[in-house]
Amino acid sequence: MSNPAPTTQSPDQSIAYLDSLLNKTLHLHTSDGRVFVGQMKCTDNELNIILSMTYEYRRSVAGGGVVGSTTLENLAGNAVGEGGAMKKRFVGLVVVPGRFVERIDVEE
Amino acid sequence: MPVNEAGEGPSTTAASETDKHAGLGHANAITRLQQEAMAFRRRTLRNITTDFTVAAKQLQPGELVKDEFFTLFEAVGALEIMDPKMDSGYIPPGDTLDPDFDPSVGLEAGEVIWIMDQLLCLEITWLEGHPLSQTVYTSLHINRLLSPDQRHSDSFHINPGPPPLRTNQDTLVHTVLRAYCIGMIKSSQLALHLIQSQTYFEEEDFVTHLFGRELLPKIDSSAAADSLLEAICWLETCGIAGGLCPALLQRCKFCLDLLRTLAGDAQRWQDMLLDLDQIKDSHHLGSPIPDAFSEKVQRQLATSTPPRPTIQISLDAAHSKWTKLCQEMLSAYELTDSDAIDNSHCLERAVWAFAYRTQPETLARAQMQDLLFSNHAVRGQMPHYDLMLTDLKSLVLAGDPLSNPEIFQIELPTDPRHACSALLREFMEKAIEEFMALYRMVYQNRCRIRRLFTQSIGIWDELQREADAIDDGLRQYPLSSQVLNSGYARTNGPLLSWARYHTSQVLVWTVQLGFETEIYLPDELSKMYWYLSALCTYRNLVIESMLRALLERKRRVRGGSRDAADCVASQQLLMSLLDASKVTESLAAALWKFYYLLGQTGIIKSPKREFAKPDLLHEARMKSYLNVPAGFVTIDLPPADGYESAVEALEQHQTGSHSMKTTTFQAIDEDLKAAKSSLAALKKYTPEQGGYVGTEAEWKKEIKQIETTCVAVAVGLSTLKRLGEKYGDGQRLGLQGLVECALERKYHVWWVIPQLKEKAAK
Repeated sequence: MSNPAPTTQSPDQSIAYLDSLLNKTLHLHTSDGRVFVGQMKCTDNELNIILSMTYEYRRSVAGGGVVGSTTLENLAGNAVGEGGAMKKRFVGLVVVPGRFVERIDVEE
Repeated sequence: MPVNEAGEGPSTTAASETDKHAGLGHANAITRLQQEAMAFRRRTLRNITTDFTVAAKQLQPGELVKDEFFTLFEAVGALEIMDPKMDSGYIPPGDTLDPDFDPSVGLEAGEVIWIMDQLLCLEITWLEGHPLSQTVYTSLHINRLLSPDQRHSDSFHINPGPPPLRTNQDTLVHTVLRAYCIGMIKSSQLALHLIQSQTYFEEEDFVTHLFGRELLPKIDSSAAADSLLEAICWLETCGIAGGLCPALLQRCKFCLDLLRTLAGDAQRWQDMLLDLDQIKDSHHLGSPIPDAFSEKVQRQLATSTPPRPTIQISLDAAHSKWTKLCQEMLSAYELTDSDAIDNSHCLERAVWAFAYRTQPETLARAQMQDLLFSNHAVRGQMPHYDLMLTDLKSLVLAGDPLSNPEIFQIELPTDPRHACSALLREFMEKAIEEFMALYRMVYQNRCRIRRLFTQSIGIWDELQREADAIDDGLRQYPLSSQVLNSGYARTNGPLLSWARYHTSQVLVWTVQLGFETEIYLPDELSKMYWYLSALCTYRNLVIESMLRALLERKRRVRGGSRDAADCVASQQLLMSLLDASKVTESLAAALWKFYYLLGQTGIIKSPKREFAKPDLLHEARMKSYLNVPAGFVTIDLPPADGYESAVEALEQHQTGSHSMKTTTFQAIDEDLKAAKSSLAALKKYTPEQGGYVGTEAEWKKEIKQIETTCVAVAVGLSTLKRLGEKYGDGQRLGLQGLVECALERKYHVWWVIPQLKEKAAK
């Protein structure tokens, strides 16, 4: 990522940083344990994020695995990864409210 | 991961390829896939939670960072995650993702019966147009069979190597219910295929979405039928008591009949009607097990819609819906089963008779289309080109050498018949699609029928031009000139007449369907009935000119010949078409004057329209008709804005001062009289003469309906007269606020009749 994001950015730099993430594939981890993978289209100051062409991933075994352990491999193959099988389904255009976002990863 | 799979596929096919280039292409494809996979693996995830959060916090409230091509309009359609009403994957606190029901557990016979009946209800609601996610998919047994986790199995067990079936309860589930579920799934797939292969409107008629699931692609319909037969065999010897066994057998048999019929292996709609009655009678044997169905299934379906409730109907409701569907299917076969399909007019009547049952199910409409359009032949017997040729013959070419199919066989270029047949073929190629669309459009839903016909007006106008040009071409050959020039004026050739005839029919239908679909406001009825009447007057002129041309040709053909017989048949048909058109013309004429009077007397009021201007209202209402070019071809077509002059003419005829609108009353009486006499003439045609073989009952019914309509108009008129005499001040009739006027379609959907009633005195 070309824009490092120090915590002391000016508003202009912040906008430039967020702009640079538009249409990138984000992985949004929500507080209920799901991961939404889609292209970022829009965000605001409450961290509400709109993703398009989104897939929802969910562990099929309740309580299995750690949220942070979601790897690309088991997302991509819908396969059994270290944290257990991920169930995948297409959900299209979604808005994830900021208050449920626990973690944001970007695919590079 | 995808490399191996992709690598195996092409290499096996490459082995059978003789072309070396193909092998090379595969090698390239494999390399490319490998590179893509590498690139995919090279991608990494970077945690940007803090950076993102800090940056976002710097935005002003309401300030958005967004992709410039992404509009807020689109954003409105985004589903809000964690909102119970929007997010189909939301799980309320304390709830679990999966329903707490194991489909692999054995069940009692009564419970299996209940599940089967529930599936019967869900299947028909799906066929009626609800999505699978709210119907069939909510069955947890179906869900287990279709689950992506079960890709390598068609069993209710999750683990391979299922345990042996020990009890009747196990067999009832794993053999009987499983066979029933598979049968229903495969029937759904066949129904889906039938509908998708025809013209239909997604969402309006039917939802084809499978929500990311497949309908058991690895099991074909014969394997599904075998499973059902196996289940039936077991049931016949299982010894389960209490009438449960026959009930299970009936259900399996229904499922098998449905499957085989949709697969085209048998035609069992009649048997299914009996099965359905028996199922209804034994429904009480079922013991409810509602846990076997759950909307939670939607949490795992690929969908961009919010969670929706299951569509629940009772078995009685399902029974009547299935019965309706079976009857429509039977009717589709019956209506196209007689010799009548060789006759374009009989077929047209059959098509409308089918469509004018209460709106047929999408599946039945698809079946009817399949019967008419598969392999470009009606019922596989009557090629569409032959159908069009019979239409041309019966309307404009009887007694003409052009109508003889043999001329298409002549290959000698110097033979004028060869040139003429080439011209005729050229025209038919241009017109066949629109001609067949006259049949296809009627199978759409009601609103679409009107809109599709309206859209075709312009195409028919264009066809008139083509027809006129080809008529010119035909006149150059002696073969036809003898006949053509005798019967048709120079601007009135046979193909042009044919195209005009159909254009006029399409125009009339669009207005009539407008009455049926209630798109005209009460204060517009007068104008639209005037337009309908005027269109019929035009249609009468078209048919009369066809009749004149026919009589000319008839005089020239040899008596007793086949041509002579054709001429007689054509004459009868044209006269019946003329009488039918006259009925519509006269009745519409009576109604437009009647509605005019109702407007004049204040019984029907125009709504207050702040910004409306008469010309804008006119344009909005008549838009479809204003664009029909008034060129030389459609020169006789009534101008869409002729209503005002018609009203003027009506008012000028008024004589005498003491009676209000007496002359209008008289005019309406005369219109009704004319309609009745045309109806009387219409009644005299035999099915062969009038082109209604196969739809005799519908023909009689329609005549009866229109007769009743005429009576209802006369009754309304006398009520108006009476009220006028009671309240009239001699000069001007003001009945505003004194009379109630209900607009009824109860005698015929195309005829809106005013029912007048004096308001009770307060």
